[in-house]
Amino acid sequence: MFKKNLVAITLVSMFIISCSEELIIQEPGNLVPKTVVDDTGLPSVTVHGTTLHAETFGNPDSAMVVFLHGGPGSDYQNGLHVGHLADDGYYVVFYDQRGTGLSQRHDKKTYSIQLYLDDLSAVIGHYRTSPEQKVFLFGHSWGAMLAAAYINAYPDKVDGAIFAEAGGFTKQLLDEYGEASRKLNLFSEITNDILYYDQFLTGREDEHEILDYKLALASSFSYAEGNDEGIEGPSPFWRNGAVVLQAFTDIAEEEGFDFTTNLDQFQTRVLFIYGENNTSYGLEFAKKEASFFPDAEIVQIDDTGHEMIYFKWSSVHPVVRNYLNTLNR
Amino acid sequence: MKTIVILTCLIAFFGFRQKTTAQTLNWKTSGKAKHVLSAGIGWDYSASYSLGYAYQLEAPVPVVLNTRFSIPSGERLLDDFKTSIGAQVLLFNGTDLKGSISLNGLYRRYENPLVILQNIGSELKGTFGYYRPNWFLAAEAGLDKAIVTRFKHSESFKETIFQDVTDGWYQPATGGHVFYGLQTGYSFTNSDINLRIGMVTTQDFTTTPLIPYYVMIGYNQRIE
Repeated sequence: MFKKNLVAITLVSMFIISCSEELIIQEPGNLVPKTVVDDTGLPSVTVHGTTLHAETFGNPDSAMVVFLHGGPGSDYQNGLHVGHLADDGYYVVFYDQRGTGLSQRHDKKTYSIQLYLDDLSAVIGHYRTSPEQKVFLFGHSWGAMLAAAYINAYPDKVDGAIFAEAGGFTKQLLDEYGEASRKLNLFSEITNDILYYDQFLTGREDEHEILDYKLALASSFSYAEGNDEGIEGPSPFWRNGAVVLQAFTDIAEEEGFDFTTNLDQFQTRVLFIYGENNTSYGLEFAKKEASFFPDAEIVQIDDTGHEMIYFKWSSVHPVVRNYLNTLNR
Repeated sequence: MKTIVILTCLIAFFGFRQKTTAQTLNWKTSGKAKHVLSAGIGWDYSASYSLGYAYQLEAPVPVVLNTRFSIPSGERLLDDFKTSIGAQVLLFNGTDLKGSISLNGLYRRYENPLVILQNIGSELKGTFGYYRPNWFLAAEAGLDKAIVTRFKHSESFKETIFQDVTDGWYQPATGGHVFYGLQTGYSFTNSDINLRIGMVTTQDFTTTPLIPYYVMIGYNQRIE
């Protein structure tokens, strides 16, 4: 009798389990949103051998402002306030960089700084409606580093730039900023929060859905209470690009980088903005980065931190608008 | 706060002389002991503390049933933990050379501001080494498999990252790590002090956890 009951219970249990919906972690749309490859309804642009999640605001013939998001491996969602510059008469272009956000994924070995610069050239070329149309770059964090790299490579291709807390224009400055902003206490909850889940989830180098999801879970580290970057709380993003982050981390460690060698040729005034509450950056770090340019203006954004564009757009907006209007006469 | 509570528990545990890491045994000295209590501290994906208990069966070959509970460091006490229950069998029982295999079922939990994960998994481990009455040195290798995991996302995750995220049990295996390393120990009276150290990699050997190492220092109290 006991054996019969045991068999019956086992069979019923197996039936119930087999009837439950099997969720697959690698399936796009389960734990991470689909990219432009999986969801063709998303706004996108196909350039330079890849499809990028992209959208624009404003009159296509107006002076262009290209927003470069942070990371590497973040996306432009938390920079969407910049789209309000369309109301000031600018044509604002957003795109998720190759391999991150909702843009197409690629193999890790294909990434390089030059590839990202070429992508930016291709995006500008795609949206530019005339050779006379002015082009301004607005970079946040890694995006500001990318803007510097672009100006360093092509000083004649842009008409101005805004740098919102670039993480470092050289490997040395990047390390300096990294050491100041990402101190780890091995026994704290926030450290545990970004390490302990490794035993729950593993992904191969090409399993973007798993790796991107894992990176998303680590995002709570950035806005943990008392964080050095003065980040007020969570800000929205669609999807991280874990592989591209690892690729550029490896490039930085193995090859180093210096985006400053030609910045002295860029005679146009540039704008640096930084958050008052980011103790890792501050006026001194802004001065170091601004010193590579012949003409730079530095403005503190009060009562905010590294995510100033999302949390304090009301303060960022007039500073950026005034700067752009000065150059767009 | 969590660290203080854990340390208090460990100190109390040591005070009652009931400490061990149940899974690391000196097979040369454990023969007479029916019960083994253990406590440990180390790095197991995160700074972690563990308590364990092992019971030796009366069988033709040495078989030890064991259970363990571990928690990582941090301010929140039980938001993350790992429990295991299983058995170790001494398959090769030479005079000084001994080889064993262990299989444990795992239940573990993880919580951060974005998600709660609950996982059912398994750990298979083989150990082979040289055992003397007062010390031992052995190599170990194993597979830690996260077989099925339940994802429950917070409102914060849905509001700021992905509104349409699908909660539920995810199959097949959501993770798997291979670990390999050394274990050594010193035995005296009814006690062992032991050390495990090694590396962790994914099961396909292509990537590693953020910190690809483990190290555990443990104390065993044998009771006959």
